[in-house]
Amino acid sequence: MTLKDIHAQIEGYDRVLDEVKTARRYGTDYRIMKGEVARVLDLLHPRTLSLRVSEVIIETPSTKTLRMVSETGYLPPFEAGQYINLFVETAGVRTSRPYSISSAPGMTAYYDITVRRQQGGFVSEYLLEQVKPGDRFESSGPAGQFRYNPLLHGKELVFIAGGSGITPLMSMIRETTDRGLDRSIHLLYGNRLESDIIFHDELKERADRHKNFIYTPVISEPSKKCSELTGLLSGDLIKKVLGSVKGKNFFLCGPGALYDYCMPELEKLGVPLNRVRREMFGSPVDITSDPGWPQNVKKGTRFAVKVKGKGDLSALAEEPLLVSLERAGYTVPALCRSGECSLCRVKLLSGKVYQPRGAHVRASDLKYGYIHSCAAYPVSDCEVLL
Amino acid sequence: MDSYDVVVIGAGNGGLTAAATLAKQGLKTLLLERHNIPGGCATSFCRGRFEFEVALHQLSGMGNPSFPGPLRSMLDSLGVADEIEWVEMRNLYRVVVPGKMDITLPANRKGFTDALIEKFPKEKEGIEAFIDLVYKFFTEVIGAFYMRDPEISPLKYPLYFKYALTDTRTIMDEYLKDPLLKLAVSVYWSYVGAPPRLLAFTEYAAMIFAYIEFKPYHMKHGSQILSNALVDSFIKDGGDVRFSCGAKKILTGQGRVTGVMLDSGEEVSAPYVISNASPMVTCGEMLDKEYQREDFFRQMGGHTIGPSAYTLYIGLDCPHGELGITETTNFICTHTDMERSHTEMKMRDNEPGQMLLTCYNVSDPDASPPGTTQIALVDLKYGEPWLSVPPHQYYDYKYLYGDKMLNVVEGLIPGFRAHIEEMEVATPLTHMRYLNTPAGSIYGFDQFIRDSHIFGALDPGIPGLYFAGAWVGGGGFQPTLMSGGSAARAVAKKIRQERG
Repeated sequence: MTLKDIHAQIEGYDRVLDEVKTARRYGTDYRIMKGEVARVLDLLHPRTLSLRVSEVIIETPSTKTLRMVSETGYLPPFEAGQYINLFVETAGVRTSRPYSISSAPGMTAYYDITVRRQQGGFVSEYLLEQVKPGDRFESSGPAGQFRYNPLLHGKELVFIAGGSGITPLMSMIRETTDRGLDRSIHLLYGNRLESDIIFHDELKERADRHKNFIYTPVISEPSKKCSELTGLLSGDLIKKVLGSVKGKNFFLCGPGALYDYCMPELEKLGVPLNRVRREMFGSPVDITSDPGWPQNVKKGTRFAVKVKGKGDLSALAEEPLLVSLERAGYTVPALCRSGECSLCRVKLLSGKVYQPRGAHVRASDLKYGYIHSCAAYPVSDCEVLL
Repeated sequence: MDSYDVVVIGAGNGGLTAAATLAKQGLKTLLLERHNIPGGCATSFCRGRFEFEVALHQLSGMGNPSFPGPLRSMLDSLGVADEIEWVEMRNLYRVVVPGKMDITLPANRKGFTDALIEKFPKEKEGIEAFIDLVYKFFTEVIGAFYMRDPEISPLKYPLYFKYALTDTRTIMDEYLKDPLLKLAVSVYWSYVGAPPRLLAFTEYAAMIFAYIEFKPYHMKHGSQILSNALVDSFIKDGGDVRFSCGAKKILTGQGRVTGVMLDSGEEVSAPYVISNASPMVTCGEMLDKEYQREDFFRQMGGHTIGPSAYTLYIGLDCPHGELGITETTNFICTHTDMERSHTEMKMRDNEPGQMLLTCYNVSDPDASPPGTTQIALVDLKYGEPWLSVPPHQYYDYKYLYGDKMLNVVEGLIPGFRAHIEEMEVATPLTHMRYLNTPAGSIYGFDQFIRDSHIFGALDPGIPGLYFAGAWVGGGGFQPTLMSGGSAARAVAKKIRQERG
């Protein structure tokens, strides 16, 4: 007796078999759905974008906005606060940098990225000095966790920005005011000089026009004729400006120094930590000054890094492994370049790396030797598996 | 051109166990994964100070070392069972229908029965007879099906031949009366995605039997550790793995599989391919037209795409006890009509009917940093209604359903919302993005009675091509992990035969 004969003796077999036959006869020919998954995902979460600079807008003496339009005629949606990782080739190295989108999600024709000159930043230097309208770029699709979650973040928001940290917040401010969203924003925006303020006129105008947006610039090294608040973004200043902090959700974005200074100030004010969101900020300027950095490894030390089955390279201790790999011509997928997203995850087969606190490495990845190469610094000779 | 005995496409559960099994048998194997990390559903992600488990709620089929279940035996043979710290759960689940029922069922037969009788004393006889039937029936299933008894007959296995293709609702209706009681005993239907009316009694009994006898499990550090351990085992046994490397085409010639073309255009040769991708993509997009067999597509066309899910990954800033959460697995139901809940899975904006709230810390105190709690709140949802959301309105829609889910939870656990520190929302489109499955399906095809293996397993009919994963083995961790092992054993057997 065959298996089929045996099954045929199960009660209800004929009835279900009829159903099976009908389903097969008139069911879906899945070949008509060819490419459907990719089509849906390409509209929502494309892996890469082909962009062209349509305009270069001078914002301040040290800052420009690059207006990016699509080469393919379509830009995917994003959530205000997200970034794109822009791939650049400069000085013979193909690398990438994440830039927050400063335009509002409602603007489907372009993404603005606003770039400020960084000390020693060879990518920002290139974008500010050499890029002109018509230049083409590739980028990742929009990504990032620094965004407003309506299920979580309430209706009273306080934004604290330093310098170019305004860019993701600018997108949120533009969206909230353009769409008349039911939430209020108070922006405290710290800069060294008045002339450093990015988007000053637009922020003033939006604050004048919209009751739910308040703009408070704060200048730390004011000129004599400065009419803005002066000083640092201290707890006292924040309290004076806001009145009560109760029930408010804080969004912080700025250079590392802003977090180092503001977080304890907010804590002093009694702001619960789970009401504070922070955007990440790339690699630290000097990793060797990190409190946990191994003292015996001096700046400028080079280590031999073997890439299993592919080759060797020499890596500087103070540079993220990802950068050393890129310098040597390896392509490693990368997105946030701040230790958070894990796209640049590689397996460390031997040797030691320094991983600063705050890199979001999964517990199981730590156990099996996977590292985020953007937030891992060689402190011995190593071997990695890409 | 690199050449292998076998190429495995996709490092989901099925692909991982397939690859690890092949390497263990000394076969030269290449494992391809388009993402930078293995696991598919079996993964985790970090937000703030939390690491969130993506998909695993209760692992079935483990058992303990002295009474191992089928899954533990397989993981043992791959050398990974001891790599992981397993967390056993005491109870199956708690079911709450606010204002109507709150019952917790222990993971042992007597406790399960007693708890039901305590709540529904009038139905004592029916409850005992029903559970007795589940056990007797499934014992016959083991003999008739799993052990492949050559002397199988309706005389020897009367219950098997009577009920194997009967729906669960019909049998429940014979023994039980109260709709609350029926919900309490069959709420696991959502682990398959088929409501009692469409769920074969075989599937139902298998779940109850397996979870009670082998206990529900989780693992320290979440399911990513299993994925990492399987990759590690594979590499140690000489396997090659390439991450961020998808397969573009399955190469064919002279009537069989000859290799795989990678996304980069590079070709590798291999006479055998095990695909952990969906059979739609595998056969409809990766095979040349002349190898797309009509009979295969007709057979596959009889199956419908199974559900995806809407999930909230939640980190609380307080210990779970503070909110009165006492169980790991909590089904929260706003009504008792499971057929209606299934219909609601096809809607995007209904009021939530049945949700699963898993609180990992109850069984594993290390599931999140001290003083915090990790929770996954899930509602099964078919992906189709999401496919028509205009992309530029997606982020407006994305959060709406989550708000309704949280409102139900807040009603049951006052203060819950105020303690949320981190939260990530995954819609069916999110699952589609990371799994690359049609309509974001997490369980493969629907697993209704007509989808039973009795009417034939999906076979592409191309020598050298095999499947692993939910689409052929059924959804969930145990079935997908086991399916990879079966595919690998079938391939290894073929290769041994060829080599004499």
